[in-house]
Amino acid sequence: MSITKKTFGARMAGAAVGLALALSGFAAPANSLAAEFPEKPVTLVVWAGAGGVLDTYGRKLAELLEKEAGWSVKVDNRPGGSGAVGVSQIMTQPADGYNILVLTGTLTFGIAQGLIPFELEDLRLLRAMQSEPSSLAVLSDSQFKTVDDFTKYMKDKPNGLKVGGHAPGGFHQYMLYQLMKKGDFESGWIPHDASGKVTLGLLGKHLDAAMMTPSTGLAQVKSGEIKLLGVSTDERSAFLPDVPTFKEQGYDIEGAIWRGIAVKAGTPDDAVGAIQAAVDKVTASEDWKKFQIEQFQDSPDWKEEEFTKRAQSDLANQLEFLKANGYVE
Amino acid sequence: MDGILQSLGVIFSLSGVTVLVTGALLGIVIGALPGLGPSIGLSLLIPFTYNLGPELSMLLMISLYTSAEYGGSISAILLSTPGTAAAAATAIDGYSMARQGKANEAISISLTASTVGGVLGGLALLLLAMPLASLALKFGPAGYFAVGVFGLSSVAALSGGSLVKGLACAAFGLALATVGIDPIAGTPRFTFGLFQLYEGVPFLAALIGLFAVSEALAMVESRMASAPSIKDKVGHVFMSAALWKETWRSMLSGSVIGTLLGILPGVGGNIACWVARDYARARDRHPEEFGNGSANGIAAPEAANNATVGGALVPLLALGVPGSPTTAIMVGALIMHGLHPGPQLFNEAPSLVYAILFGTIIASLVQYAAGSLFLPLMARVMRLPDAVIAVGIMAFAVLGAFAIRNLMFDVYLMLGFGVVGYLMKKLRFPVAPVILAMVLGYLVESNYRTALVSSQGDYTIFVTDPISLIFLSLSLVSLLTPLWRRIQARRASSRTEETADCTVR
Repeated sequence: MSITKKTFGARMAGAAVGLALALSGFAAPANSLAAEFPEKPVTLVVWAGAGGVLDTYGRKLAELLEKEAGWSVKVDNRPGGSGAVGVSQIMTQPADGYNILVLTGTLTFGIAQGLIPFELEDLRLLRAMQSEPSSLAVLSDSQFKTVDDFTKYMKDKPNGLKVGGHAPGGFHQYMLYQLMKKGDFESGWIPHDASGKVTLGLLGKHLDAAMMTPSTGLAQVKSGEIKLLGVSTDERSAFLPDVPTFKEQGYDIEGAIWRGIAVKAGTPDDAVGAIQAAVDKVTASEDWKKFQIEQFQDSPDWKEEEFTKRAQSDLANQLEFLKANGYVE
Repeated sequence: MDGILQSLGVIFSLSGVTVLVTGALLGIVIGALPGLGPSIGLSLLIPFTYNLGPELSMLLMISLYTSAEYGGSISAILLSTPGTAAAAATAIDGYSMARQGKANEAISISLTASTVGGVLGGLALLLLAMPLASLALKFGPAGYFAVGVFGLSSVAALSGGSLVKGLACAAFGLALATVGIDPIAGTPRFTFGLFQLYEGVPFLAALIGLFAVSEALAMVESRMASAPSIKDKVGHVFMSAALWKETWRSMLSGSVIGTLLGILPGVGGNIACWVARDYARARDRHPEEFGNGSANGIAAPEAANNATVGGALVPLLALGVPGSPTTAIMVGALIMHGLHPGPQLFNEAPSLVYAILFGTIIASLVQYAAGSLFLPLMARVMRLPDAVIAVGIMAFAVLGAFAIRNLMFDVYLMLGFGVVGYLMKKLRFPVAPVILAMVLGYLVESNYRTALVSSQGDYTIFVTDPISLIFLSLSLVSLLTPLWRRIQARRASSRTEETADCTVR
């Protein structure tokens, strides 16, 4: 990881980390004496504002940690700075497991773009609990029936279609970039600042094709008005059994935007163990399973080792993607 | 038919009326508190809706949403502190009217106009949801850009005496709007390495600082510590027949503008209030009264911001896409009940759809009744001496700025804007153009660039896109009309001078 951009924020954050590390040195012995984690209320720091998808997940997790594990949990929304505000909040607290960050897969993009002035190694990624794929979407009256139709057309006419989706240099553009590499074609990208606007863009024919989360245009996907040519899951999604994956159409692309929890690096193993055990109780509960289905979420349930590995490889690939598209130097 | 009857059964049941009234009372308080707006209010409400049925939770949320849009005007009128961003336009004439001792009148105009706007927006939702939704789909990036330019063309109307000063302030606001992550390139601009600025200068911090803190500083300076300048008693909310006659046109035009801009995601009340005020001013017989306590300067923006509620629900029900951050939270609440918004809801849960449709209209009427309950409290606020009010404004300003993101950074920024606003007041620079430009800057810039990306650099997209052409022409008209009037007036006055000369001879 080489983020050399020295910013005021990074230096401040560095100082904060140093201070926090010093403090955690005092906190650690107290923890080892602790009979059982948690001894006091736990805070879930949600790095997005109240009311969004991440917040909904965080609040459900809080509710079920109380119900299933008997914890006392407080939700603290810390939106801003593409997640940097939330990560900083965790970094200024002791590494004792009492502050758990609720975050999304945009973490690796934020680090790669230098927006989040920390590194993956500053966090212990504990569990990915939800994930959503990307998909290639067109209107039902489109001439394209398969991913092949689309890539062939784009090969003949580079940049010949208006293709777009949510955010510049984010997950969905990254998936398009993967498709461009496998299908050997060129395409522009029209970024939108809200996922709902992507659906409107497709319906209003301001976009010819979009890369989007299937649940974004759910009403139209269900009614057949929007057709999904391919989805970026490993196997067909249980929610969309009729939509073929990119993989089965010969494009070896797989990716998902995850939502999960992390704590500050240096959090002792016994606290992490207690958190993992509590999360196991949550994911095993009927309430959680029902919630996942209602929210159209896959349950990756990656534990710390797999989650970390995944994030590291995401980061490396995304850095390459961002460099290739001029988002970072 | 069953759906209609069922939904009315829910609305007029004891629990239905209870949630509507609760929502209205909460909404007015949340709206009046700066920093807390309808979207924060609704997200605080979500946990309480788990145990209500989908119909009741939607009624509760709509009622809070509607009333918060009105509540924002209360603090705007009484304290020059817009409680919500959409009440910013109301603060200009509302506060000015209150300072003239006509606070009761200002509040009653605001409450009435909000109710009229809410009802008309709700009627549009009930009767025209499908055609309005297909209209919304016609707007591409070029169209959104042109709407933004149209909004900016009202700067002239907000400039007060000097157009040059107004333009300078608008330029300042546009410059502030460039701070943050670049909407197309994704890289931070002018953030000085502060990640607190990635999402741009927090709009509410600027709004509270420029409007409220500057006013508190001015109050402290003028040292009117003893005698309260507002002697008006607030007693009733009924507008006189003369006032109705004066304002009904602005209420109507404001409602239409609010509904139409409400259906466009990302536009909404923050912009509709300014456009409505400008439209009303252009058609007023006494445009010079705007800024000095014009009744229409309250009626138009207040009708508009409440009408956006019905408008914002149009894409939600017709397309399943939320039209505003607030309706996005309502989507979240629906999903919690296992329902996904969209046209299929008409078949899956007709009683819910009708509860939303009728609920929007009825919530506005409930808001009128709930709003009148707060009048004695407001009367007490207005009898306070300025010294107390100034301290109160400062306290609310700090609370409001902190509530945006729980960051002290926003509080310091807000105080900084307060000093800037105070200096602007001293030098007679209008603050409204700064706010307007900040609201519109991002919309204009991001859509301008998106349009060019999608046309691959071809500038003709702005005239070949019919929506864009219409709005750019409208902006031209709105810019040239005052100029044309000025020329006409000059000609007329020179002619009268000539005749005067003749008679002297």
